Amino acid sequence: MVIMRRKGHIYSYWLILPALLIFGIFFIAPSIYGVIYSLTDWTIGKDKVSFIGLENYRTILESEELRLAIYNTFLYAVVVVIGKNLNGLLLALAVNTKMKLRGYFRVIFFLPCVISTIIIGLIFVPILHPNGILNEFLSTIGLGFLTQQWLVDSHIVMFSIAGVSIWQWSGYHMVVYLAGLQGIPSDYYEAARMDGATAWQRFRYITFPMLAPAFNINLLLSLIGGLKVFSEPYALTNGGPGNASQVIALEVFSKFGRGQWGLGTALNVTLAVFVSVIAVPVLYKMRKREVDE
Amino acid sequence: MMGKTMMHRKTKDRIYRIVLQIFLVLLSLIIVVPLLIMILGAFKNSTEVTAFDLALPEQWLFENFVTVFEEGNLLTAFKNSILITVFSTLITILVSSLASFVIARRKTKLSQFLYYFFFMGTIIPMQIMPTIRLFTVLDIYGGYLNVIILYAAINIPFSCFLYTGFIRGIPSILDESAFIEGATTLQTYFYIILPLLKSCNITVLILLFTGIWNEINIPLYFLNDPTKRTLPLSVYQFFGAYGGSNWNLVFADLALAALPVIILFLFMQKQFISGLTEGAVKG
Repeated sequence: MVIMRRKGHIYSYWLILPALLIFGIFFIAPSIYGVIYSLTDWTIGKDKVSFIGLENYRTILESEELRLAIYNTFLYAVVVVIGKNLNGLLLALAVNTKMKLRGYFRVIFFLPCVISTIIIGLIFVPILHPNGILNEFLSTIGLGFLTQQWLVDSHIVMFSIAGVSIWQWSGYHMVVYLAGLQGIPSDYYEAARMDGATAWQRFRYITFPMLAPAFNINLLLSLIGGLKVFSEPYALTNGGPGNASQVIALEVFSKFGRGQWGLGTALNVTLAVFVSVIAVPVLYKMRKREVDE
Repeated sequence: MMGKTMMHRKTKDRIYRIVLQIFLVLLSLIIVVPLLIMILGAFKNSTEVTAFDLALPEQWLFENFVTVFEEGNLLTAFKNSILITVFSTLITILVSSLASFVIARRKTKLSQFLYYFFFMGTIIPMQIMPTIRLFTVLDIYGGYLNVIILYAAINIPFSCFLYTGFIRGIPSILDESAFIEGATTLQTYFYIILPLLKSCNITVLILLFTGIWNEINIPLYFLNDPTKRTLPLSVYQFFGAYGGSNWNLVFADLALAALPVIILFLFMQKQFISGLTEGAVKG
């Protein structure tokens, strides 16, 4: 009875305060201010900041460079989502087999994701050079027609950058899929085998639906990460050649460097809107499905 | 008859496993080769390295590492990274687990709201220039402090998410017995909850440590003093200075910068792999 009466205040809200203050003041408040600043002509060294309405957003829509950056960001996100999930799933299915070297594969494929993306990016700069080892290797094994000007050709540079990110993170997604696979009771497969189901049918009707939670998480993580992309193009091309590999976060950085803080903030807000509009429905669906189950 | 098919299946399985392993070993070369190019290149001289291949160095030039250590100011960068990572990680763990304790236990609308309020921070990207403005007004822009606070602010959401999920799994009867004995919420947290958080703490610790250690965006915007540069930032600047002429030194720099985490990872593979993915899996 005593406990019941005290229950209301024994878990004192005061304990939330430190986290709430740090998060509220240094994350949420600037986010709100960002929306306001994005409507101004805020530039570095200017004393008076005045409202200019949606002018910055109009500049974004009218600028070919910024439109390209937005396009590239989405292109990159789509490519990495597909690449990381496909690789991750295939690797997980392969590594999930009981075998001697299983531990080794898990560690090796996972290894790149503990290394800084900047370091990974810089390692790939010479590898992707027109005379680099990748092209040399392709020529040597008779796939010379696949050689590319990986980071120089403006049509494929985004794909090359996405490729490096897929190289780095596939192992991560593999481990998440592996956890999902190990959660599937093995008697499901036994039963299916008894009923004469083929390998494909077992995958299609057992593995695939049971992997849905792992798939959702991987999708969400790779999608959000893809839209926020910065380090990969920063290390590999710094937006070049020309502006061919500019992405939104890189443009924010360049506007910051040029002192166009109002415009930079408008770009930053644009990115936040894109990420929320895409991620929140996915999340909502995920939660709903979990509740339904 | 039955025995024969069983045998048949067994040998087929064994062959399949061998073929699969050979294939995966070849596939793992895709991961190993770029890293090997870096490591071997770090020992070569500046002309030899430009082949960017897997040839062994004619002479193993250990002095490259000495040069890099001095020219690249690696020691300073290393210290900066340690300082920033340790403090922001500790602050985040402390305040997040405290907050999560209350959020997990209270069943009110307010606690539900706070849960989602924090959760927002795991999705939306931060607003950079308004944050710089805020730190400038507070007169701490450009130094260690603003980076430490910022890393805490950015990482509190996901940490709270993990801790809340974990603490919900701890029976609340445990804290109730402490309350009956007259303990305050804070005492209950320290004596009852904190000791039980060990595995969650390790998860969050590894997640924050690798994340902050490897991150470059925040230092790029928020550290304007070259002596306060973190490791990834120093590596990028070193590349800017030597990338044209001395790739052997760049590789030595990259290798030295990557080494601490790689060594930690190899010694604690299990904790790292589960630590970095558990958050995703639990979510």
